[in-house]
Amino acid sequence: MLLGLVSQSLLSGVTNGLIYALVGFGIAAIFRGAHIANVMQGEFSVVGAVVVDVLLVQIGMPYWAAAIIGCLSGAALGALIDVVFIRRLVAQKAPDDSYLLFTIGVSITISAAVLFLFGREGHLLPPIGSGQIFIVLDAVVQEHALWLIGISVILMFALRYFYRRTTLGMRMSAAAIDPDGAATIGIDVRAMRTLTFVLGGVLGAIAGILITPIIPVSYMVGLPLTLKGFSAAILGGLTNPLGAVAGGLVIGILEALVVMQMSSAYKDVVTFSGLILIMIFMPRGLLGRAGRAGG
Amino acid sequence: MATRSIVILVIIAAIALAVPPFLPRSVVDLLVFSCIYSIAGLGVGLLLGQCGIANLGQSVFYALGAYATAYMTVTLGVGAAWGFLTGVILSGLIALVIGWPVLRLTGHFLALATLALGIVANALFYEWDWLTHGSLGFGGIPKLNIFGLVIDTPLRFYYLAGAVLALCLLASANLIGSRTGLMLRAMRDAPEAAKSLGVNAQWLRTRIFILSAIFGSIAGSLFAHYGSFVNVQSFGIEKAIAFLIIPVLGGATSLPGVVIGALFTTLVPEMLTRFGDLHQVLFGLTLMATVVLMPSGLMGGLASLSRYMTARGRA
Repeated sequence: MLLGLVSQSLLSGVTNGLIYALVGFGIAAIFRGAHIANVMQGEFSVVGAVVVDVLLVQIGMPYWAAAIIGCLSGAALGALIDVVFIRRLVAQKAPDDSYLLFTIGVSITISAAVLFLFGREGHLLPPIGSGQIFIVLDAVVQEHALWLIGISVILMFALRYFYRRTTLGMRMSAAAIDPDGAATIGIDVRAMRTLTFVLGGVLGAIAGILITPIIPVSYMVGLPLTLKGFSAAILGGLTNPLGAVAGGLVIGILEALVVMQMSSAYKDVVTFSGLILIMIFMPRGLLGRAGRAGG
Repeated sequence: MATRSIVILVIIAAIALAVPPFLPRSVVDLLVFSCIYSIAGLGVGLLLGQCGIANLGQSVFYALGAYATAYMTVTLGVGAAWGFLTGVILSGLIALVIGWPVLRLTGHFLALATLALGIVANALFYEWDWLTHGSLGFGGIPKLNIFGLVIDTPLRFYYLAGAVLALCLLASANLIGSRTGLMLRAMRDAPEAAKSLGVNAQWLRTRIFILSAIFGSIAGSLFAHYGSFVNVQSFGIEKAIAFLIIPVLGGATSLPGVVIGALFTTLVPEMLTRFGDLHQVLFGLTLMATVVLMPSGLMGGLASLSRYMTARGRA
């Protein structure tokens, strides 16, 4: 019985941790490719999940088609935000805090638009797979949780490969690290930034589609998702996907242990206090490979 | 130039004093909130504009001020001054104890750390209901009474909050103009050079953090007296974000910008309510448009508009 309790809470910690990591992937991608602290990442997930919900439940499309359109809507939103707004801010050499404020504005707008169009109540998507249940070490495991864990791990390695081995990935990093130098050797810096936002949007939508069978999507979930995703990404050093997973797992498991040992009321207190302590004592992130000091 | 800005200041002060009695009660009510939010936003603005620190934890000190006032006046039944004083002392001490280690962080880490503080404090305010009455809240906080004059109408409260705001602005202007202000800007723009000239960066940043917390606490105490009711819902992350929006929107380095930012965040949503359920969407869009069209804030936008007009006048 005790073993079941421990393994059940660890399992929920791992699942939640990977949810945070999924959101963190998009934050890390946009920070890596555009050096912008992106407070709207959770909203990409909300939009992706809402689009899939409408197509799947209300129109009755097959799951794969709805999921693909959901990802495309994330990509389109990312591209739109870059082409219409971010380009102007970059051209004006806007200070860092305008980007922060701008993304706050986007997140307020999207969350209010979801409330207006979609209503107050939360919606759950059906889980991936047949909804089978497994028993591992006395703990109940939903099939969807396994899909979520598997897809997160694959995404992590795919992103790592993308940034380290592919020309496009290296171009995207170069365009952000040294825009003038990158332009000199023939990289289209503007296009790379747009692609960065497309990538961020797609990652956000994927996260939303994977999360929504576990956490109901509504106008309120965007900001909390962003906060946890940010914590995961920053703990990992803000630019690498491996770090986001490490950060997400630390937060998820810490939360699960607090819920098991104390009460769920103190979950946020312990997690976020722990976060502050880790930042003070490990300023370069858990893996010691921060993009640059202070992010 | 200096005489021109003094003239402008006098005109604005005259408008701020003379016009409100003729405004409807609901508008005066919004102006009171503008003053209260300006005071809290001013603290965040000092940190951002003078030290380059984005503080997402101002709601903590706003809450401390409000709870100190509620506890002192309702639970202990002592005078309002004790509420203000307890809030200020408590906020200052907490800012010192937390600020000292946390302010070693920089950039996004620091912003996240202050946000984390806000979340932790909000969860504690919620859980410690023996002290804060949780989501039920404190009711019946008495009206302020200054030498026999009871501040019981929005208009009277507006003059009080406006006077407190003016004092806070004056103190901030003094600080920025002083030797400390010079050190702050040196530390923000050239940290290595400042350090080599013997500026104690961490202590300086902690001092501004304490000042910012004190402003937040005063604003919170005023809020408690004005609404005569406080509960934990008033001190969420949304409030901390609003307090950051205020100086950034106005233009972080400009003191009057904070007041303009606060007016924007209280008046614009109210003006948009006639669009019904769409008003939040419109507020978000207005916020986005303002940032994109005026990247140096509303004050920066006004300045470039006036430059544009002068240039056209000459041509």
